[in-house]
Amino acid sequence: MTICQFFLQGRCRFGDRCWNEHPGPRGAGGGRQQQPSGSNRRGWNTTNQRYSSVIQPSSFSKPTPWGGSRDQEKPSFATFDSGESASKNRGFGLSQNPFASPGSDDQKDDKKLLEGIVKDMEVWESSGQWMFSSYSPVKKKPNISGFTDISPEELRLEYHNFLTSNNLQSYLNSVQQLINQWRNRVNELKSLNTSTVIALDGVNQATPSFGFGNRQTVTFGSPGFPVNNSSSNSAQNFSFKPSPGFATAPSGSPPVFGNTPAFGAVPASSSAIAAATPTFGLRKPEITSAASFSFKTPAASGFGSSGFSGFSPSMAASPVGSPVAPAFGSGSSVAGFGSPGSQPHTAFSKSSSDTFGNSSIPTSLSFSLGSTSTDNALFTPKDQLTAEELEQFQSKKFALGKIPLKPPPVEFLNI
Amino acid sequence: MSLFGTTSGFGSGGTSMFGSTTTDNHNPMKDIEVTSSPDDSIGCLSFSPPTLPGNFLIAGSWANDVRCWEVQDSGQTIPKAQQMHTGPVLDVCWSDDGSKVFTASCDKTAKMWDLNSNQAIQIAQHDAPVKTIHWIKAPNYSCVMTGSWDKTLKFWDTRSSNPMMVLQLPERCYCADVIYPMAVVATAERGLIVYQLENQPSEFRRIESPLKHQHRCVAIFKDKQNKPTGFALGSIEGRVAIHYINPPNPAKDNFTFKCHRSNGTNTSAPQDIYAVNGIAFHPVHGTLATVGSDGRFSFWDKDARTKLKTSEQLDQPISACCFNHNGNIFAYASSYDWSKGHEFYNPQKKNYIFLRNAAEELKPRNKK
Repeated sequence: MTICQFFLQGRCRFGDRCWNEHPGPRGAGGGRQQQPSGSNRRGWNTTNQRYSSVIQPSSFSKPTPWGGSRDQEKPSFATFDSGESASKNRGFGLSQNPFASPGSDDQKDDKKLLEGIVKDMEVWESSGQWMFSSYSPVKKKPNISGFTDISPEELRLEYHNFLTSNNLQSYLNSVQQLINQWRNRVNELKSLNTSTVIALDGVNQATPSFGFGNRQTVTFGSPGFPVNNSSSNSAQNFSFKPSPGFATAPSGSPPVFGNTPAFGAVPASSSAIAAATPTFGLRKPEITSAASFSFKTPAASGFGSSGFSGFSPSMAASPVGSPVAPAFGSGSSVAGFGSPGSQPHTAFSKSSSDTFGNSSIPTSLSFSLGSTSTDNALFTPKDQLTAEELEQFQSKKFALGKIPLKPPPVEFLNI
Repeated sequence: MSLFGTTSGFGSGGTSMFGSTTTDNHNPMKDIEVTSSPDDSIGCLSFSPPTLPGNFLIAGSWANDVRCWEVQDSGQTIPKAQQMHTGPVLDVCWSDDGSKVFTASCDKTAKMWDLNSNQAIQIAQHDAPVKTIHWIKAPNYSCVMTGSWDKTLKFWDTRSSNPMMVLQLPERCYCADVIYPMAVVATAERGLIVYQLENQPSEFRRIESPLKHQHRCVAIFKDKQNKPTGFALGSIEGRVAIHYINPPNPAKDNFTFKCHRSNGTNTSAPQDIYAVNGIAFHPVHGTLATVGSDGRFSFWDKDARTKLKTSEQLDQPISACCFNHNGNIFAYASSYDWSKGHEFYNPQKKNYIFLRNAAEELKPRNKK
């Protein structure tokens, strides 16, 4: 076997897996295989097979220019096998792979994750790619909230439907809204102030099904609260998609967060967090229109998931069009990604029983729910709804343009 | 208000519709044009199976119609028949004996079109547009599998109006592929599920999506023993993931690659990223073709991990593609796929289906 030159220099990335010989116990190459520095990249002119071992993790952070996509016009083959071009190497990059560094800095990984997210957002904006898409920073993580999938076909179908009903203007309006929402979300993620960072940290712990770790709730206490300013709103509103819609209340005064730690895991942690628990007071009407992509059922529809801070200013004025998304192609229930359909229901009901007028809301919290009983904050009493809204809640699906802005009355909930 | 700030148009952008005099880029590859192509965007293409002598091409379009052409060896295309739905047709497939065509439409139904009698009857019903349709032929059963935006996967015996089986999906079905005994369904919110079809269809595994963005198309590939062993998944972000179901070394065997991006500068910074609209595997060579919103198609060898060819840019996105049963013909449809919203939609623009000889260009690269 050939002697591995890099090992001799003390920087072989592959360590034990290396196909060349690593002579003797000297050299420091072994443990460093997954932590190559950027400058090493150009040096690796070995066969593609070896890179493939790093492709999987790295393909996210440093997208692989497979086959020399640097220059797509050229029909000639990518200098994949030749080993000369540096571009190929750049691709096979290097892992900013959180999995590869077990136990080493969680922080460092998070940082890289965040950088990755920022970068992705920039690319997303500048590249002209389809905007109505879900997104997740790294393969194993759940989708980042605030992005919902709408396929081009669904959008086009909506266009056709509106065209035939001569209502093109409302289509245009809803599309424009969706675009604005998307842009706001992207900007939020790009700006990445500390609270978003902390919130995103929760993502790291989150499993695809509901996991908001205690970490999440704890840190929410710290950015201080009540939260009124828009900058930190973004954090608070960072509820994760996996949780079935909880409205968050970014607008103004009472700081109420939809981030429900309420899935059974919480009671334990909430005691520890006592004063800082940001519970799930859900403010009333205006919120529900925010982020309204995941209306579950008409009954539970009041709770869109993840409000965006970008909404807070426009919240009150948020036009009816914004909850348009759920109507696209999907029936009344859009929530629940990845988790079995039934689960969101139970979780929701659990939390509803937990939250409404329950004991886990520490009295030390200084916020006021806008109305005395928690029931009112979450549901509108029937008499406060107009006939049209009532009719909407009772129908199977929301009609576009008529989606109520207030949460439904508690009687309509089928838990 | 424009949907997208940039106007990264295709060749001549959306403006030169009425007979551009300068460069007509609608067929830069000089491929054979199919006669009397549909009047609106083509959503799906499908060639007849080997059981039928000759080659017949079916295309479903947003003009609510499904058209059938006979493609002769000379390259001549003869329109044969047409059927209508009451909504745009999103997917088509053939039965294994080549006598029936199944069509899935936005009118929430799927129909079975008997080509001999030229009659079409409804065989499936959903609560939302039916996005995918596939024929399953198992030793002990045969059925039609329909995936819909109502988050269900239904299996239909064509003789009964009730589904044989209904499976719930986590989200709306965006694309699917079937090669017995494996089926893959990719849903919204990056859901990905593999089903095994022996005995009766059942969920085999839910897979974490290897891609970061919305799934757009999926195609199953086979191994050397002709057994389905994995799939290729395309997203809106100009990227395809090759994923094996049970690889010996997942980290090494599964990978993703970027495609359908403009080169921009040499760095990956300001690139235009286009969606991958379709993926098709060559039935003989096992190499794959991808078509994208950028108006190009590319051929790739996934085992050698190289690109074989990229086409010139067409003036419209390529919305669908398909190989015929022996891999000699590669068909691709040039029509608007809504990737830039309604502003770039021009109903007057002609939609094309091109046929290309695929016997030579898709030969795999020899591995070093």
